[in-house]
This record gives sequence, C-alpha cells and structure tokens, in this order.
Amino acid sequence: MKKKLGIYIHIPFCRSRCPYCDFYSNAGCQKEEISRYAAAVAGQLRVWSRMCREHTVDTVYFGGGTPTLLSLRDFGLLFEALHGNYDIAPDAEVSCECNPATADAGYLRGLRTLGVNRLSIGAQSLDDGELLSLGRIHTVSDFFRTYHDARDAGFGNISADIMIGIPGQSTKSLLNTLKRLSDLEPEHVSAYCLKIEEGTPFGKTAGRPELPGEDEVAEMYLGTIEFLAGSGFYQYEISNFARPGYECRHNIKYWSCDEYLGFGASAHSCFGGERFACPASLERFCRGEYVDKASRIKLTDADLETEYVMLTMRRTTGLVAGEYARRFGSDPHKKYDARFREFMDLGLVIADDSGYRFTPRGMLVSNSVLSSVLDL
Amino acid sequence: MDKTARQKRIRNFSIIAHIDHGKSTLADRLLEATSTVSKREIKEQLLDSMDLERERGITIKAHAVRLNYTAPDGEVYTLNLIDTPGHVDFNYEVSRSLNACEGALLVVDATQGVEAQTLANAYLAIDANLEIVPVINKIDLPAADIERVRNEIEEIIGIPAADCPAISAKLGAGIDQVLERIVRDIPPPGGDEDAPLRCLIFDSYYDSYLGVVVYVRVMDGCVRPGDRIMMMSSRKTFEVVDVGIMEPFGLEKRDCLAAGDVGYITASIKNVGDTRVGDTITSADRPCAEPLPGFKKVNPMVFAGIYPADGARYEDLREALEKLRLNDASLVFEPESSVALGSGFRCGFLGLLHMEIIEERLEREFNLDLITTAPSVIYEVECKNRGRIKIDNPTDFPSADEIEKAYEPIVKAGIITPSEYVGGLMELCQERRGVFIDMKYLDPTRVELVYRLPLSEIVFDFFDALKSRSRGYASLDYEFDGYAESNLVKLDFLINGEQVDALTFIVHEDKVYSMARRIAEKLKENIPRQLFEVPIQAAVGRRIIARETVKALRKDVLAKCYGGDITRKKKLLEKQKEGKKRMRQLGSVQIEPEAFMAVFRLNDED
Repeated sequence: MKKKLGIYIHIPFCRSRCPYCDFYSNAGCQKEEISRYAAAVAGQLRVWSRMCREHTVDTVYFGGGTPTLLSLRDFGLLFEALHGNYDIAPDAEVSCECNPATADAGYLRGLRTLGVNRLSIGAQSLDDGELLSLGRIHTVSDFFRTYHDARDAGFGNISADIMIGIPGQSTKSLLNTLKRLSDLEPEHVSAYCLKIEEGTPFGKTAGRPELPGEDEVAEMYLGTIEFLAGSGFYQYEISNFARPGYECRHNIKYWSCDEYLGFGASAHSCFGGERFACPASLERFCRGEYVDKASRIKLTDADLETEYVMLTMRRTTGLVAGEYARRFGSDPHKKYDARFREFMDLGLVIADDSGYRFTPRGMLVSNSVLSSVLDL
Repeated sequence: MDKTARQKRIRNFSIIAHIDHGKSTLADRLLEATSTVSKREIKEQLLDSMDLERERGITIKAHAVRLNYTAPDGEVYTLNLIDTPGHVDFNYEVSRSLNACEGALLVVDATQGVEAQTLANAYLAIDANLEIVPVINKIDLPAADIERVRNEIEEIIGIPAADCPAISAKLGAGIDQVLERIVRDIPPPGGDEDAPLRCLIFDSYYDSYLGVVVYVRVMDGCVRPGDRIMMMSSRKTFEVVDVGIMEPFGLEKRDCLAAGDVGYITASIKNVGDTRVGDTITSADRPCAEPLPGFKKVNPMVFAGIYPADGARYEDLREALEKLRLNDASLVFEPESSVALGSGFRCGFLGLLHMEIIEERLEREFNLDLITTAPSVIYEVECKNRGRIKIDNPTDFPSADEIEKAYEPIVKAGIITPSEYVGGLMELCQERRGVFIDMKYLDPTRVELVYRLPLSEIVFDFFDALKSRSRGYASLDYEFDGYAESNLVKLDFLINGEQVDALTFIVHEDKVYSMARRIAEKLKENIPRQLFEVPIQAAVGRRIIARETVKALRKDVLAKCYGGDITRKKKLLEKQKEGKKRMRQLGSVQIEPEAFMAVFRLNDED
C-alpha cells in the first residue's frame, strides 16, 4: 500500500493585513504578481513530485494569506500541476480557506468545479463591532452572503473560524456569535483564542488593544465547548469542533506526526523524518529556493517521541497507549504516569489504561502541563 | 619640643563636607593649582578612582596625595591631602583619617548651607583637635548666599568664618586663597624623630605585586626599608620592604619616613586584616610604650544574605567576595544556605551604603546577578536556657516562649531640614518608633532634629522616606547608641502551607500586623499564578495573622498550532521550560527570584 501524504499550499497575499496576524502574507499585490507566484508554486509541485512516487495524496489544503485572491485560472494551473504529477486519491479532502467578501457566487462555483470540496470561511465574529476592532475588512452580512453562496455552489462541507478573546468581546457576545453560527448548521467550527504576537501592530505597545481578562477568556473558552457540544459539534482538538465525520483530515495529520509537504513561501513540511520550510520571502521562493536551510531539522527518535506526545495531546483522544506502543515500542504508562500525576490530581488530565488526555480545563493550560511533562 | 625645619614645611590636612558640596572637585583644583597634575591629566575627580565613586559623587575609600606648593614668599611646602569617605557608614575611618591631620578644610555649599554631614564631620574634626578652615564653595551658582552660609558656620558650628575663602572649585576661582590658608592657619606637624616609632594606619589596600600597601601618618620616630615593624593590636611583625609617598599617579619610594610625614609602607603583608585602620605601627626592636589612642575593631552593623540568581554561580560569588575582602577588612561573610534561595553567603556590612557598594561592585566588576535579602541588624536575646545570644540572621531568632528579653541596636540620629518639613519628618520618626531627644532652630528657616531610633528602622528604607518627605532637602547622620529592650517578634511566611526560610523577619510587635499585610500583598503580586490556588500566610508562632491567595492559572497563551509549523510550537514550550529552570522551587510552588527581590526591596511607598 502506498504511503499517505497531505499537501499544503500557502497563498501569501491579502487585501490588507489584519493587525493580529503574523502568518507570512503580502498586502496590495497586483494580479500579475499573484499569477507569477501561482506559476512558481506549480513549478515546485512538479519538482517535488519526484519525492512522492510512493505516496497517495489524500488531503490538499489551500491556506493563507487569502487563497481566494488567486484567480480561477491560477487555481486551474495548480490543480493541473497536482493531478498531473501526484496520485490524488479519489476521495481526497481538498480544503480552501476563504475570507468573506473576497469570493462571489461564480468564483465559489468555479472552486467547487475545480475540485475543492471543503471550504473554511474566516468569520472570526458575528458582531460588526468586534470585526472592526480586529481590523477585518468584512462585515457580518458579507459572511452570511459568502456562506450562502458557498452552499449554493454545492459545498457540503463548510467550516467557520471564530475567535475568542477579541477586544471588546464578552461571554454574551461570544455566545451570540456561536448561536447565529450554529443556526447556519455548518459542518465544522474552529475557535481560536486571540494571541498577541510580537511584530504585529497589536504587538506594539501603542497598538496593543484592551483585551478581555485571562479568567474571562478561560470562561469563554469553556462556554464555547459547552455550547458547541449542545449544538451537535464534538470537540476533537483544542480549537476544533465538528459534526461526526467532518473532522478536518488535513489538520489531523499535523497532530498525528503524519507526513505532509508544504508548497509556497513559508510553507512547512514534515517528510522523510525531517521538518523544513520554504523561505518566507516571495523573492527567494520565486527564484526557486524551496527550502530555507535554517529551518531544516532532522528528527531524532527522541524528537519524534516528544513531538508526537506534544501534538497528539492536542486531540481530545489524547495519547492513545496502543498507538504510542505501536510507534515507539514501549508502554507510555512507564514514562508518563509519574509525570502526569500532579496534573491528574488537579483535574487537568485524565489517565487510564487507554492513555492520557486533557480535560477542557486542562486544555487551557496545556502549555504549562506539556512544558513540564515533555523532555524538551 | 621644637619643630624641625622639615616639619615646619609640612601641612597635613583633609577636606570634609556634606555629600555633593564639592569636596572632590576642590581636591582636583588643589592638585592642578600646585601643578601636581596638569589640567590635561585630570580626569574628573581624580581622587575618587573607583568608577562607582565618580558616578555616585561619593568617596568610598580614603585616599592620600602629596602636593608641592610654592607659597607667594617663595617657600616650598609639602601639603599632604588625606581625602576621607564622607558617609556615616564609614565614620570610624573618617575619624582615623582626621587623626592623621592637623587641620581640615570644611567645605560648605553656598546654596545649601550647613547640612547633617557637615555638622557630623565638623564635630569629628573638632574632637580630633583639628584646626578647621571653612571654605564656602559654589559661589558661581545664582542661588549662592555667602553671607547666610558664613553666619551658619559661625552660629551652628561655632567657628569663625568672617574672612573664610569664598570660592568656585568648579571654575577654579579662589583656589590660591585656600592654599594660602592651609599654610597660614593649619599648624605644621610635631613629633620626635628620635623617639620610638609610632605610625597611625589610616588606610590600606592589597596590591598583587606589593602585598598590602599601608597608608600611615608617622607620629614619632622614623621608618626605613629593612626595619622590623610591629602591629600593636595583633603584635604581628613584618620587615619593611619600601617606604615612600603618594603621588597622584602612583607610589614614589623614599629612604625614610619621619615624624610628621604622610606616606606608605610595604612589608610583604598578605592580608589587609593585619593592617586595621586606626592601629599603631611601631618598631619591633624598640617598641613605643603606648599605642595611639582611638583604635577599635569595627564590627558590621547590617547583615544580609547574598545569593547568586543563578545557583550555578555560587563559586564565582565566593571568589568575588574573597577578592573584595582583600581590600576591605570590614566586609565579613560566611556561607549560608536557604531552601528558597539556594547557596549563598551571609554578609556583614558597616551600613547600608557599604552594603549597596558591595552589591554593586559584585554585579559590575564580577558580572554577577544577585539576590540580596532584606538587610537586618544584630539583635540580642536573653534566652531562658541559653543566656544572652547575638542574632544576625532572622531565621535564628528564638521562638517567643524561649525569649526572656530581646534587645535591638539603637542609633542617635541627627536630621537637618528646612523648617517646613519638620512636621512630616517628626511623623516619620514617630512611625519608625523614634524617641524625641531634641529640636533646635539653626536659623529661622532650618531645624535640627535629634531622635533615638532603632537601627532596624533606619535600614528599612528610612533614607528614601526622609528624602521623599522633605523633597530631598533633609540630611541625616547617625551614630550607634547602644542596645535597648524591645518587644520583637519573629514573622514567618508560609507559601502553600510551607514555611519559607528566606522570608523570616524580625518585627516590633506594634508593627507586625501592618508588615505582615504588606509583605503578603507584595508576595501575591509577585508570585506567578500556578496551576492551583496558592495561599500565602503570615504567621507569628502558630498564629496566622495575614493571608492572601494567588488564584490558579486558568489559561495559557494558546497559539494556533496550524499550517504545520511544529518547530515554533516546540520552541515556545522549550522557552517555557527554560523559564521554569530559573525559578526557585518551594514545595510544589515555583517562584522567580525577582519575587523575593520585590519583597526584600519593600519600601515606604508600598
């Protein structure tokens, strides 16, 4: 049987930069420049396909940036490169991120026709005031229009991203967002806590917004889990919720240490026992520099084990003892029972014969727990 | 006995002043005016050779230098300037330096007038029978009021100042007048060159090539290379290698130092502890009958634990302290270990300034990151079964049921302040358990307050409080004034139910509740939230008298683990783990060293 592979394609362009975002992206680029970039990515897809003769691609993910700034023609080129050079599984999950108001009905129909079968819409909030405080360029009604257009275009698997801890957000306004969202009946919801990143406008002292308090955000997070559970979305990862059967298969690869290749500037890969990334520079990437040497790490057995625990603990299934034993040939209880003990006593971690997993309260402090438990 | 022609051409003097009144600048000008150094060679404040001294505008160690002055009548004089530390911590050293002189220039700032240290130093000089030559400095400043200051000198200190030089050391104006006064008013030294040797040690320092270099004033007799000398306090003997004088840029050898001279002696001495300031050097073969009066072994007054912030640098800290002790016989230390702070040293200092200087030198010159505990004083306790014991570490303070009586050191403090702040400062002294002794108007606008205060209150941020309540105008001087019985209790802190040894304080009964609350609050502010609730309790014996709670950490920064950038996520966790390594582990609670510092540096504003 061929090995499975996920493909991530990064589209580093945006209409305007959001003040909290630190993903690699460029604002205000011309159509021609974007097309040139798409052609370069198609080139990378062709070159790297030689490494993937033994693989079947079962997930493709277009992320950004704003992938929907690519023209349908550019998308067509990329799909051509994918299908012409890779063994794409017939039931592959093909996701694309989409910002409201960047894609109209015709465009979405085009994406669906090209083969995108899962759309992830960056709603962020269903409160215009909060969208404004995040510096988003779309409104709530833009989101509704895009959502309905996507359904009309035939997307049967739609996810919406929302944010917790937005400046000015309250538990009440968050629940209102969740309520309006669940009324739309999407298949999947991602809920991320806003993090102030260094080097972003929010990260500068002058631009730092007034954020809801730590305890309030914790309550909001727990409230989100509770609300979504009551609406038929089960939590399968710290920030991700789905109706059964609609988990994002691509993202699950990240949390399972499965193989994926990242195409386009700043895209990350985990492949053949190594991690590496493309340079976060349009110029370097378009010159054909596909691997930023500084990013390249050969994973040792110990790295693999640490990363596996770090990542799999993000999932609600947690560290599954049987799977761990299969991968590393040892019983995780021997190593981790004592290390998790104090956190079990605090009600942050559940441990049993089948393995370890965080409670909802534990997920909130997972960094503190993992930084103490892991061999870093 | 008649003075010799040689003696008649010598003047030994020092300069005394309140801090910032211009002592070191005047010294520089005197060196320049006598062409001892050229203008080009003058670094600002030549005599204050340590960086720290120049930066803070204070003199930490005594220094001495020889000036050759050609008087207007053509006669050439040797002027020996002995510069003294001006701070109360070093009063004993000052008094010894003054005893090496026949006169002193009393520098007073024309805008500030007489201040607490002006007075304290003037009294020391009067006690040493010195001829005092007042000098009014900073007359170039617009706020200068020469007449007022003249009156103050006459009224407050009681020395004539009608025709005293009014100068600007900064601009170099009036320096000639000062030199003429030194020659005219300060008597030449006496002493019998043929009598048995008697030298007063007023300073010493360790040089890695020469061994200890001892600064002396020869009172009687003379000393030459090859002589056998004896330290009278320890009766240790040494053979003199060199004698000579102090030039601004180094030592200069001479054949002999004789009665009246100021100079140095080297004798292959390895330890500054053998050359105590104030001790008498005599001849081993022909010793004098009596040592010079006034010698005492100075004892540290203030103690604190010094710990490396990074426990791995304990040995570096030990070496650094040992190096500093080479030049500072008053620094004492011994190893101490604390559950909370790790391994470090209990150090004794002459006072707060001395402590700050040592801390700063350790950090700067040895590149150490330190945690210094709150300074404490030496308590004496009459125990029910152990008799009277001395306690320099609060942790060793006996429990209440063991104590018969407890005593704490008291100082007599003089505060000089503009009269408008008197009320506030009396309040401060009252709050600090002071007992009023005296108040007198020095002139219609300035007041001297005298209080007896517990030293423990002085070491607890008194100076800053004094400054802030007088807008910086009040000045302070104090001297040790014995022990007094006091109701002292031991205040402990428990974090998450465990007692923390570094957080033990000796507090007066009347203040224990407010102190307990303040420290508990400070701890709460500085203990990072843990994954569980952390109670902070203040206890006297078994009784809990204050309590705070650090709420449990609810939420980490949950970054999106997304787009497959795993390396970044891992680095974040690594950083978090690294941060934990710096922390001190108290049971299951982790605390950064800074949290302790915040408590140790608690001040009047908190």
